[in-house]
Amino acid sequence: MVLDRLSDSLKNALKKLTSGKVDKDAVEALGEEIKKALISADVSIKLSREISEKIQKRALKEKVAGGLTAKEHTLNIVYEELTSLLGDKFEEINTETKPTKIMLVGLFGAGKTTTAGKLAKFYKKRGKKIALIQTDTWRPAAYAQLKQLADALKIDFYGDPKETDPSKIYKTFEKDLSTYELVIIDTAGRDALNSELTDEIKSIDKSVNAQEKILVLSGDIGQAAEKVAQNFHDNIGVTSVIITKLDGTAKGGGSLSAAAVTNARVKFIGIGEKLDALEEFKPKNFVSRLLGMGDLETLLEKAKDAIDSETVEKTAKNIMRGEMSFNDLYQQMEAVKKMGPLGQVANMIPGMSKMNIPKSALNEQEEKMKVWKYLMDSMTNEEKDDPSLMNESRIERITIGSGRSLDEMRDLIKQYKQMKKMMKTISGQSRKMKRMQKLRGGKGLPGFF
Amino acid sequence: MFSKLKKTFSKISSKVKKEASKVNVIKQIESSKLKKLSNDLEDELLSNNIAYGVVNEILDAVKNSNAKNLKLDLKNKLKEILSSEKLNILDTKNPTIIMLIGVNGAGKTTTLAKLAQKIKKTEKKCVMAAGDTFRAAAIEQLEQHGKNLDVKVISHNYGSDSAAVAFDAVEHAKSKNLDYVLIDTAGRNHANEDLMRELAKVKRVVKPHYTILVVDSLTGNDVVDQAKLFGEKIGIDGVILTKIDADERGGAIISVAHESGKPILFLGSGQGYNDLEEFDTDKILNQII
Repeated sequence: MVLDRLSDSLKNALKKLTSGKVDKDAVEALGEEIKKALISADVSIKLSREISEKIQKRALKEKVAGGLTAKEHTLNIVYEELTSLLGDKFEEINTETKPTKIMLVGLFGAGKTTTAGKLAKFYKKRGKKIALIQTDTWRPAAYAQLKQLADALKIDFYGDPKETDPSKIYKTFEKDLSTYELVIIDTAGRDALNSELTDEIKSIDKSVNAQEKILVLSGDIGQAAEKVAQNFHDNIGVTSVIITKLDGTAKGGGSLSAAAVTNARVKFIGIGEKLDALEEFKPKNFVSRLLGMGDLETLLEKAKDAIDSETVEKTAKNIMRGEMSFNDLYQQMEAVKKMGPLGQVANMIPGMSKMNIPKSALNEQEEKMKVWKYLMDSMTNEEKDDPSLMNESRIERITIGSGRSLDEMRDLIKQYKQMKKMMKTISGQSRKMKRMQKLRGGKGLPGFF
Repeated sequence: MFSKLKKTFSKISSKVKKEASKVNVIKQIESSKLKKLSNDLEDELLSNNIAYGVVNEILDAVKNSNAKNLKLDLKNKLKEILSSEKLNILDTKNPTIIMLIGVNGAGKTTTLAKLAQKIKKTEKKCVMAAGDTFRAAAIEQLEQHGKNLDVKVISHNYGSDSAAVAFDAVEHAKSKNLDYVLIDTAGRNHANEDLMRELAKVKRVVKPHYTILVVDSLTGNDVVDQAKLFGEKIGIDGVILTKIDADERGGAIISVAHESGKPILFLGSGQGYNDLEEFDTDKILNQII
């Protein structure tokens, strides 16, 4: 697919920057690749060009901060430029005022009503007293749709399937709604923002006077995103953006164009059809995804949390000496586990996300790791430190103690031996080359992915 | 629609002609100028919401073109992309079974109702199957359309097997001697294996004569993945683009035709039941260039 090729050429362009100095040709090549990546992710052409030019200019002009490589210096600027449009961290919706009114607007099929349900669930979990109100009098069964979601969430619902004037519906319930902490208002969409919808949306906006006017944008929207956002903004003043359907292959670049023209921040992303499939927007992760570079930063951060440096050092030393014990294997597994489900971890590693590892294989591996953990939990400390102690009676005791089968125990020993063998090979090679760093670019651990 | 693209092509073509007129016949346009013209064309095609890979292919096709032929070469390339074997899904198979698939929010249910209206106008009879048993009020939505159009809707409860709903609709059509069965399905994220398997099951059970991919014409580059994955995992016979009135760019039509290799059947435009226009390649080509 196009994007795979793009992220590869982006990575290649980045590689050229590893020579140490910020080289003009390399920066230009990188700028071109970034522009391509952004356009392929549906960012508007104009904005893609502007961002790319700004990055090139800054990378060449600004001094490389002490301790940074040319690559890190440039990447930093890439992140900064993209997150300057998106904000550098998640900004919460202010829900202090009572009632906080959140109005959702957008085109047909963007996912407004589903998002209304998801937001209700999100804030219900945070203990808010919430009401949902449907003012979409246009689409068949819009009333029923939001009512069904509200019922499922046990959240109070307002609406009138017989009334055709959205503002009237709101006015009818305004007094009741003022008793809630949070009111979420769903509105009608249209194919395009024609005069009919413009009038309707202005009128309901005036009646509601919401603190938050959220533009709901489909993650797969193309070059029209900028115009759509501009139109809504001109009419009601968009304060936030939610981007939906990001669980698929769409990159959501339209949100960048929307953020640029409205100056509004993206607050949430929709990542599935169920009501809890709503995530707080994390600009840095989003940028990684936009550029198809894997969620490297999250991975690094999580890896840092997952295992403290002392253990890493000790484990690494043992492994490099080829003296790996079950304890080391255990540490490795725990570290990987803390990063999240294997599927997610795999997705965060650049390149790995492109390998299309079947979900079933990852699930299977995860199950296996669970079993290995049970088995290792039944070992004595001596056994964990010195695997050569393992004999038939110990193996039998461990399988009985952990309630697992002999086959599973054999599998664990096999895994351990494989890993030990591989580590020995790697450490032998790297000693020869006296370049321990090489390991960092090496292959993953066998059997883990 | 396409007004923007048409302007683009005229603009580029006249730019090329202008450059060409500056030099005599023997001398070529300077390569740096050519490069700039090619970059301009690329940007313009991309701005018109044509997917990245498709733009590259179009540029490839005209890279050896000259000032005189550029427009014609572009037109021929677009014609090649947009022309595939004609397909009439409203033929008689007693009953003809048509299933609509696509991502969430593409406009499947509305398009289904528009197809029902088209059928009614030809004095034929059809039944609609409420195959989206997942999304809240999807069944009520289709039932409302059924009521408005006076077309029977077969539905089960939410959470039930949509293959069974579709199957019942086919049985109903057979017993009542109806001409068409129109099957609605739940919006599916094409990258979700489990959901796609469910959809494949519906297809396996009712064996529709025509499986139609419904695509929102505002979709950007993702249109390529949608066409590819629905094509691979479910198999499609044709495409309907919706919300054509939403934007003056029409690039998604070109991208989806290119990636799927299947005919574009209809273009959905407004909210009225009659707003479903038959796709006419020549007419569209004349609009574009």
